[in-house]
Amino acid sequence: MELICIGLNHETAPVEVREHFAVPAEQLGSRAKEITALSTIAESVVLSTCNRMEIYIAAEDRQMGLEILQSHLAEGRDDQEMQYLYQKTGDEAKRHLFRLVCGLDSMVLGETEIFGQVKQAYQQALGAGATKGKLNKLFQKSFTVGKRIRTNTRIQVGPTSVGSVAVDLAEKIFGRLKGSHVMVIGAGEMSRQVAQSMMSRGASELTVTNRSLERAQALAGELGGQAVPFNAWEETLEKVDVVVSSTGASEPVLHAAQIESVRRMRKYKPLFLIDIAVPRDIESAAGEIEEVYLYDMDKLQHLASQARESRAQQVAICEAMIAEEL
Amino acid sequence: MRRAAMDRWILILALVLAAIAAVQGAGYVYRGHRSRWTVLWMLCSFLTQLVVLGMRSELRGSCPLGDTGEILLFSAWSLTMFYMVVGSVYRLSLLGVFTAPLVCFLLTMALVPGMLEVSPHHADTMDAWREGHAAFSVLAYGSLGLAAVAGVMFLVLNRQLKEAQMGAGLFRNLPPARELSDVVRRLLILGFGLLTIGLVCGLVMEKADGLGRHLIVALGQWFAYGILIGVEWRRGMPARKLAILTVALFVLSLMIFPLLK
Repeated sequence: MELICIGLNHETAPVEVREHFAVPAEQLGSRAKEITALSTIAESVVLSTCNRMEIYIAAEDRQMGLEILQSHLAEGRDDQEMQYLYQKTGDEAKRHLFRLVCGLDSMVLGETEIFGQVKQAYQQALGAGATKGKLNKLFQKSFTVGKRIRTNTRIQVGPTSVGSVAVDLAEKIFGRLKGSHVMVIGAGEMSRQVAQSMMSRGASELTVTNRSLERAQALAGELGGQAVPFNAWEETLEKVDVVVSSTGASEPVLHAAQIESVRRMRKYKPLFLIDIAVPRDIESAAGEIEEVYLYDMDKLQHLASQARESRAQQVAICEAMIAEEL
Repeated sequence: MRRAAMDRWILILALVLAAIAAVQGAGYVYRGHRSRWTVLWMLCSFLTQLVVLGMRSELRGSCPLGDTGEILLFSAWSLTMFYMVVGSVYRLSLLGVFTAPLVCFLLTMALVPGMLEVSPHHADTMDAWREGHAAFSVLAYGSLGLAAVAGVMFLVLNRQLKEAQMGAGLFRNLPPARELSDVVRRLLILGFGLLTIGLVCGLVMEKADGLGRHLIVALGQWFAYGILIGVEWRRGMPARKLAILTVALFVLSLMIFPLLK
């Protein structure tokens, strides 16, 4: 049996092409089964995520398997779209799958979501009866390799984006974010992303304020929070745990003195200030208050790039471990 | 004499086990991993310390708190015990990295010649108040000592958070800051409760002879801890200040030991 992989991903194809090849999650098993009905193809697994679509097959004849799968994929698609597909066979395909489950082929190096997505694709194919000895053995092995690499290297360690650094820091300060109150000053895209991450990790209350109350209301409505007028947000300061600020103001909007005035009412609870505005929104003296942790854009970006560098340094170690497993 | 020599050898074994926990735990933290081995080594050290305490108790015919060596050993044992309890409840396995060196220090001090009496006087009668005073006071020290250890952990994490140093293995392995300050607070309250019981036992015990010097110092400590807990509860306090005061008060509390002779 010959192993073949045909697919496309975020590096080889633009999103408008990828979406033409995308397979709905609930159809992965039935599509894989459909492919095994083609001549010379004995086994098949179909993987489809937002960044890639790949088909793994075990065929009796390599060349024939490639041609049949290509012509199956070409149905309803033009030649130009087909040019975005890559082909891998034998050990190259095996190495590709191993790299994939380890997150080495992902847009965010070392991300862990892909491991679960490959597992789901395999389980659906297995459930549909589209896999036998060859692909069963290959995918089981890939999961073992993925676990080994994640356990023995630091490929997944550290947040790699400004948003994830902020959320990780919040969890390092507060533990679980359940029950935390987040206030967003300035309803920009960046603060929306950070606030959304906080809410998805369990923050229970969200207050949004903006010079334009309509925009604050829109963001609050989208994220399940409440909007307050820009001249009234100071009253909320005594209740919040996290402040995300990204206004377009040229002068600081949050001063150390404002925090000093509510410290006692807050019972000196920790306060996490995330200033993602340039020029900065929060006076740097606020960070000198004992229970205040102040992070500006530079600090957040520095931490994210540190994590990305650290992950990149792990790639050679991961590649060597994969080579051992081939 | 042979039994006394045996005590020391088993005590050395307990020290070695705690030292393994300290060195291995620090190594894991440096590499950025968590390990259950620290807890296992500490459990072995805990059981070994218990054997020594049992032997000393049999030798003395009363609670083994008759000399400085036994008090140090009992303190190490109670510290290890609280570590086991708090470690599992709050999942602070890293606590061992900070606790193990302190246990090593206490056990090493107990091994210094002259600290453990070779042939202690075997008691004919037992004073329950005296035994209760000693046992509860030392347990209180275990709890307050562990609060100080958690306080040091908080101060380390707080500094890393303030200076935006997320890369270190220590940072990844330390529990969240709020959890640590909650642990400090809870251990302080537990320690204060135990200290109160120990002090009541001591006051009943000393009624006939008046207050001893160490009881006067203990009362001072009790007031200091009481004020700290009261102020924190009533008006709140920055977690950093609470951690510094917890560590400082515990270090000051250690001055009671020379007064016990």
